[in-house]
Amino acid sequence: MTRRKMFLRMITASLLRRRSRMLIALLSIGIGATILAGLITIYVDVPRQMGAQFRSFGANMLLLAEDGKTMTAEQMDKALEEIPENQLVGAAPYRYIRVDMTTRQQSFTAAGTDFEQITKTSPYFSVEGLFPEGTREILIGREIAENIGVREGSGMELTWQPAAGSTEGDPSEDRQPGAVLNGSAEGWGGGTVYVTVKLDQSSRITSLTIDAGTQTPEIGGLTQTDENFTSQFIGLSLPLEPGKDVDALSGATVTSTAVVEALNTARSAEKAAAAKTVKYTVTGILTTGGEEESYIFMSLEDMAAITGTEAVDVAELSVSASAEELEAYAERITQNTDSIRARLVKRVTRSETAVLGKLQSLVFLVTAVVLILTMICVSTTMMAVVSERRREIGLRKALGASDGSIRAEFLGEGMFLGLLGGIIGALLGFVFAQVVSVNVFGSSITFQPLLLPAAVIVSMGVAAVSCLRPIKRAVAIDPAIVLKDE
Amino acid sequence: MSLLELKNVSKIYGDLKALDSVNVHVDKGEWVAIMGPSGSGKSTMMNIIGCMDKPTLGEVLLDGVDIARESSKRLTDIRRDKIGLIFQQFHMVNYLTAVENIMVSQYYHSMPDEQEALEALGRVGLRERAHHLPSQLSGGEQQRVCVARALINHPELILADEPTGNLDEANENIVLDLFAQLHAEGTTLIVVTHDPEVAEAAQRTIVLEHGKVAREVINENFEAQQKEWAKNR
Repeated sequence: MTRRKMFLRMITASLLRRRSRMLIALLSIGIGATILAGLITIYVDVPRQMGAQFRSFGANMLLLAEDGKTMTAEQMDKALEEIPENQLVGAAPYRYIRVDMTTRQQSFTAAGTDFEQITKTSPYFSVEGLFPEGTREILIGREIAENIGVREGSGMELTWQPAAGSTEGDPSEDRQPGAVLNGSAEGWGGGTVYVTVKLDQSSRITSLTIDAGTQTPEIGGLTQTDENFTSQFIGLSLPLEPGKDVDALSGATVTSTAVVEALNTARSAEKAAAAKTVKYTVTGILTTGGEEESYIFMSLEDMAAITGTEAVDVAELSVSASAEELEAYAERITQNTDSIRARLVKRVTRSETAVLGKLQSLVFLVTAVVLILTMICVSTTMMAVVSERRREIGLRKALGASDGSIRAEFLGEGMFLGLLGGIIGALLGFVFAQVVSVNVFGSSITFQPLLLPAAVIVSMGVAAVSCLRPIKRAVAIDPAIVLKDE
Repeated sequence: MSLLELKNVSKIYGDLKALDSVNVHVDKGEWVAIMGPSGSGKSTMMNIIGCMDKPTLGEVLLDGVDIARESSKRLTDIRRDKIGLIFQQFHMVNYLTAVENIMVSQYYHSMPDEQEALEALGRVGLRERAHHLPSQLSGGEQQRVCVARALINHPELILADEPTGNLDEANENIVLDLFAQLHAEGTTLIVVTHDPEVAEAAQRTIVLEHGKVAREVINENFEAQQKEWAKNR
């Protein structure tokens, strides 16, 4: 038999045949290792857990089109490519327009969006009823619902009229060449000025005929014939601002202004003709506690059906990442994507970082305290073991054990306990972390394979450190004294 | 030939002289008893000879080496290599079996050898009790295991401190028989005792009183005793 075999035989005999002592020491190491392994698991897992929790507070990044313009769905998708898929919780596009409720002469903000994404970026949206799924279905904010008295299942007729300045809703493609628009406005002395205008498919003026009517022929009447005055309108888009976009005819400011107004009227009439009225079904009432309660929500498709474009004003992104990562993503998007700027919702990202930091330092602190308590506990137990085995230690010394042998034997026993305690602790610790995770965060955690060796090394280390003082005492035992004790 | 020689050995604790200029001489192969009442310095002398303590003054020559001048680390080595100890309270490692207890001694000395340890147990008549724990052995059996343990590394000197103090007469005789056998084989034996019967088994008895050698008694019947013992075996 080798010395090593005998060493192991003595240690295992000491642990197995002195079971009650061993169980106490094992218990203290095991409990310590369990709590440590559990806390470390939570410590490692907390950012992920809390990240998911924080995502319920809403978007932490915004994508905006440059200079108040809109972006296309393709541009948005391109920007999203800068964010790793596994970190992107959701990306909800929004398109805002004003709509009128014809029956009540009230106007509201309508938002076109993707409801599936909204449930991810804004999990706090609470819907009484259902999110719209089909076409011509809307979700309305609680404030509107209470104001106009609609309920889930009610019908609601909304009218959209394109803004005067925009080309949205224009019949552009359908506009027949040669089709004319007519308009009129009040000129000098109560007389009416008439215009007949032709627009191209981009809504620019191609030709203009002015009928000055009863305006003084040698003053306002000249607007009909003065080439310099009429030609400046060609190629301009309506509406125009009098005195700014075009120069007034000298001495006939009032008539000139009337011409511009008449043109704008013609354009407004065309827009009004393009207005669309659609009857929607209310599928649910939205409660958020925020300004969303005064909005009407519909799908992007429904909105495109009335506006004729699939533009997006802003996208709200929920990204599960650290503040630094978020900043890097935002910068990349702004740099790599034309006409899109990414902005962080600082309020959300800052509080996430702060809370995470505090939580991690709390777990760290508790871990340190548990580590120290475990050491004290193991050290005390080993101290008791040494004092209980004084005579045996004395005997071993009398039989010729060197100080080194005594040290090796106690350290060996301690490390063996550390090994067992570490294995038990890693397994129980995972269960502990799992229970905490399920109860506190409501989600389970995956077993970290590194946990086992880490827990074993840490508890063997703790056991070894805890054994230092007891070993010192064991080495100091004088065999001549302890072997004489009755 | 001298194995052990104490020259003017004193051990002083404050005002107390536990040993006072003691001179003792033990030859190789001798069987010597050390007797004396409590406080006479028996234990102090036993600790010094057993390399577990050092004298305040004087020389202790064990096999030619002055152990009074050695470091405690060296003393541990000398004790391990040259001395087999037997105690009154037996002292076994209580969670190791009889054979394992013997192997512990081998382990610290050189190499554990279970076969040799079993043979040693056979010599003290406990071969079949080899795998019993101390708690499963009687006092006499435990002391016999301790004798086997003291022998296992073939020490120059067996140093026994009241080896029969906790034994009944039957077991006392068994142990003394073992000593006689060891003596016959040439082992040097020093037995510290206050039991005259145990002392009478030895060749020579050194009587200590107040830390001094009061007298030495030569056992005139020793040859006859040994013959008697050899016949009865």
